[in-house]
Amino acid sequence: MNRVDNDEGVTPHPVTGLDDVVHQRVRLGILTIAHEARRVEFGYLRSQLALTAGNLSQHLGVLETAGLVEVEKGYEGKRGRTWVTLTEAGDAALAAEIGRLKLLIARVETTGTTDET
Amino acid sequence: MTSDAVPAGGDARRLLGEVRGLARRVRIAQRVTWLPLLVLAVVTFVAIPVTRVSRPITRDCQPVAGGGETCKVFDPGVDIYWLVAMVVAYIVITRGYVAVARDRGVGVRVLPYAISGVAATVVVFGLIAVGAGGWIVRDPQDLLHPPTSVQVLFRLLTPLGAIGVALLVLAWLERNVALLLFALGYLAVVLVPINFGWDTYWGGGWSEAPPLIISGSVLALGALGFAGAQRLRRAR
Repeated sequence: MNRVDNDEGVTPHPVTGLDDVVHQRVRLGILTIAHEARRVEFGYLRSQLALTAGNLSQHLGVLETAGLVEVEKGYEGKRGRTWVTLTEAGDAALAAEIGRLKLLIARVETTGTTDET
Repeated sequence: MTSDAVPAGGDARRLLGEVRGLARRVRIAQRVTWLPLLVLAVVTFVAIPVTRVSRPITRDCQPVAGGGETCKVFDPGVDIYWLVAMVVAYIVITRGYVAVARDRGVGVRVLPYAISGVAATVVVFGLIAVGAGGWIVRDPQDLLHPPTSVQVLFRLLTPLGAIGVALLVLAWLERNVALLLFALGYLAVVLVPINFGWDTYWGGGWSEAPPLIISGSVLALGALGFAGAQRLRRAR
């Protein structure tokens, strides 16, 4: 989390609160799908996010290391399947990210300017 | 979706739009709306011969001033059928939902629907068993010719009404506007006394058949409609 404290008492810009791990588009997509589906299979994630298996594995690795998802490997019959579940921390991180994005949009609409980082 | 990072301030709206789109696609993948409608249609149709064969027990009859009498009527065969059939139906629906969703690669939240469906049925039969009609309408004369509002309430407190209430829960769980509209339409059919005059002509133990045929047909048509819509969506 790259939050910046502001000593001058000015409300920090929502951008300063964005979490790099969560804010990345693919990872935000993984978290969103896992949140909505409660439990999601690797193949579904790959098809919905249009990723290669290797690319998706890398992103899942980042999220798993950050404690935002749990990855469970198993078999259904002879077919190997990998299931991804959102952790409580992942759920909270997703909610915080969505909240910041909404705040950012509201701020842009209020000031009438587009912010770029 | 690519693996590029998005400028934090510049494209928040697009990112949120993508998030909402993904969530919507998951919700669609989780839906097996035709399944509960089909299972409940079957349960409703099977209730027709059960109702015909079962023998109601009448007791505590009291004459009403101005002619007629009011009685407590129990139909153990029908009551047991509905209770068992609904529990089995909701187990089948839950297992079906979980199996289909797993096959599609997603989890599903269907248990609250099954619980509310069984709970609504148990509440309905609990109220019937304790003779709740006598609590709602105190004057026996009114019970003989209840006002429209009471008739609507009595129709809601039936297994067919319980099916409609549980479908509203499923529509909420699935965030499914089409199912919400269907459930409201179904409830309207249950609550409005439509019988096409069958009530008069059938008689002889078949008087309960028209509402069951109508409700079962609405459910079966709904199952067909939702299955067709799902097939079309998948073909696209």
